[in-house]
Amino acid sequence: MKKLFRTAAVAAAAALALAGCGSGTASDPSNVRPTGEVKPREISWLLSRPADGAVINIMKKLADDYTKDHPGFSLNLITTPDRPSYIQKLETLAAANKLPELFDTDATPFAQQLAKQGKMVDAEKLLKSLDVYDDYRPSALDYQRFDDGSLNMIPFQFELEFIWYNKALLQKAGVSVPKSLDDIPAMCTALRNAGITPFAIDGQDQWPLERYVAYQPFREAGPNFIQKLKKGEAKFSDAAGQKTVEWLASLGKAKCFQDGFSSQGYSDAQNQFTSGQAAMYNIGTWELPSLATDKLNPSVREDIDFFTLPTTEGSVTAANEFVSPSGIGMAVNAKTYDPLVSDFLKFALTKYPSEYAATGALSPTTNVETVVPANATPLYKKALEKATDLGDEQAMPWDTQLDPTTNGRLQQELVLLVQGNITPEQFTSTMDSTIAQNAPKFFK
Amino acid sequence: MLPNRSRLSVLVFLLPPLLLYGVAVLFPILQSLFLSFFSWNGISDMQFVGLANYVRMLTGDDIFWRSFFNALGYLAICLVLQLGGALLVASLLTSMRRGRELIKTLYLLPAVISTVAIAFLFVRIYSLEPVGLLNQLLHWIGLGALERPWLSDINSVLAAVSAPEGWRFTGLYMLIIYAALLSVPQELEEAARLDGASRWQLFTKIRFPHIMPVWITTTIMATTYGLRGFDIPYLMTNGGPGQSSELLTTYMYKTAFTSTDFGYASTIAVFIVVECLVAVGLILFMLKRKADA
Repeated sequence: MKKLFRTAAVAAAAALALAGCGSGTASDPSNVRPTGEVKPREISWLLSRPADGAVINIMKKLADDYTKDHPGFSLNLITTPDRPSYIQKLETLAAANKLPELFDTDATPFAQQLAKQGKMVDAEKLLKSLDVYDDYRPSALDYQRFDDGSLNMIPFQFELEFIWYNKALLQKAGVSVPKSLDDIPAMCTALRNAGITPFAIDGQDQWPLERYVAYQPFREAGPNFIQKLKKGEAKFSDAAGQKTVEWLASLGKAKCFQDGFSSQGYSDAQNQFTSGQAAMYNIGTWELPSLATDKLNPSVREDIDFFTLPTTEGSVTAANEFVSPSGIGMAVNAKTYDPLVSDFLKFALTKYPSEYAATGALSPTTNVETVVPANATPLYKKALEKATDLGDEQAMPWDTQLDPTTNGRLQQELVLLVQGNITPEQFTSTMDSTIAQNAPKFFK
Repeated sequence: MLPNRSRLSVLVFLLPPLLLYGVAVLFPILQSLFLSFFSWNGISDMQFVGLANYVRMLTGDDIFWRSFFNALGYLAICLVLQLGGALLVASLLTSMRRGRELIKTLYLLPAVISTVAIAFLFVRIYSLEPVGLLNQLLHWIGLGALERPWLSDINSVLAAVSAPEGWRFTGLYMLIIYAALLSVPQELEEAARLDGASRWQLFTKIRFPHIMPVWITTTIMATTYGLRGFDIPYLMTNGGPGQSSELLTTYMYKTAFTSTDFGYASTIAVFIVVECLVAVGLILFMLKRKADA
């Protein structure tokens, strides 16, 4: 038996060693001008975007156009729109060293480790070499940067996140648009007293609630707070941390979110707002076709408006600074980067912005103007115009910043805090110890 | 005793499934055991940490213990619904004269429905906003005070995610137990009836002891299936709210594929294997002791 066990253990070790041997080495990530002939073949893009969304449709079309001049080329789009499932797929492929030519990722600590290992092409150099770097909105690129300022992902979107509201419901409850974040709990209480659900939220996907934890620290201590917190250099027990913990607890106490929100999905939340059952909905401009066109329920169409993230007293960030993400970025695999990938990217990235702006979306570049759809309400243009008046700082979503374990725990504890199942003290203690335990592995 | 040639044939035919079992089951278990002594996030170098993962799991991880006790609760609810429900329905079926096939088919139906569909179905059933079937029923029968978001309430969520699993497999175990009950010799039952045995005595003294071997197998199956329960709780609540419906399996999965802590996830995997072996051993031990008594 002992002999058998030993043999099996050796076999397991050998298999792992072989897997390691097969991993290969990354190419030079700063070599953005590979030399040689463009040899058409199939390349793959592992991506996490809606299957029928504008990005995929445009890239499919551009790939077809490229194939006309380069027979034998094809772009294989492997899409997993569900973000948690996508991340698991990405991490598993990265572990097996089987990442395809192009892959989506946020500027997460995991992605930074990949970049540090030279597995992602330097996107800043790449965009500069393609002569398109200056076309990009600086904030679209900044969203994709790691803490050290390095850029390894290319943005394909640009979005602004607002709090959409129903004027009639606010009027019914006798409340107005909040002047400060600190006004929101009282506003929720008034809405609840009038029998109205204040916020519709997708609790199932967890990131929408995580947006709220970022707001107070962004106003109180600026964008650097999360960069310090994630490394354990700042704590939830600090003033800015405590402000958000207490605020979130007060949102829960005022029953700001629909009952049972933690098991409600994205479409549930959207339906609740667009059917006039909830007064507010915190979401980005990717929802413009549902919120600011004639697709919107006629009974609420005239009542919908939005406000940007309120400031607070003594806020260190301005009213025109809020969450303005450029979506999940696309990384280029350094190991498989060759003249073909380079040539295709040059072709696609120069043509993409005008195609994308024609769909009514905000391009990550400034060299094109968004075409407002014919069926849009005046709100559509009003929302787009906010992009021209953005401040220099942007609030980063925390789910792209924290190490994966801390992020998971934060998402779990936030629900408990907002539901009133744990106290602010318990939340603070749990999160500070979780960061202390897990951050060093990612931010050495 | 088989003649030599027959023994050789048996061995030859046993070899392929044995090899398959070794590659598909034993090798991954050994690989998990090996990985459990390392710290590894999948992309960096593996670091040998000895027993540190085991020490962390047993002494410094509150979620692990929460998940362990949740898993036991989940198992208990599943066993009661699956085995208790199956035994009850199978016993009632034996006394039915008509419509047995229809009842059997209806009970078996959930076992063939996709897990994802079951999870989404029950999310709707438990919903409060918009109001789902369960809360609507409670309202109709005058128990409106019990209405709640079943999957968001930390007190009800574990039972809520266990029930679909129990509901799903009751029919399967019912069929097995029903087949076993049909094999109980009629003359024995008739003799007992003539001796004045009640229905309860008939069940406890004749029927149940007769189906004991099948009952043991079914219990082992249900226990191991229950201990590895994953898909329905994962799809319905992802272990939440908080860790209220986190099971060892969902925690292991998240540790590996969300936290990218493959070494620690392997440690939890090893614990699950040991836990299953201990559970099966305990069942066999208790049932054997009862049979000997």
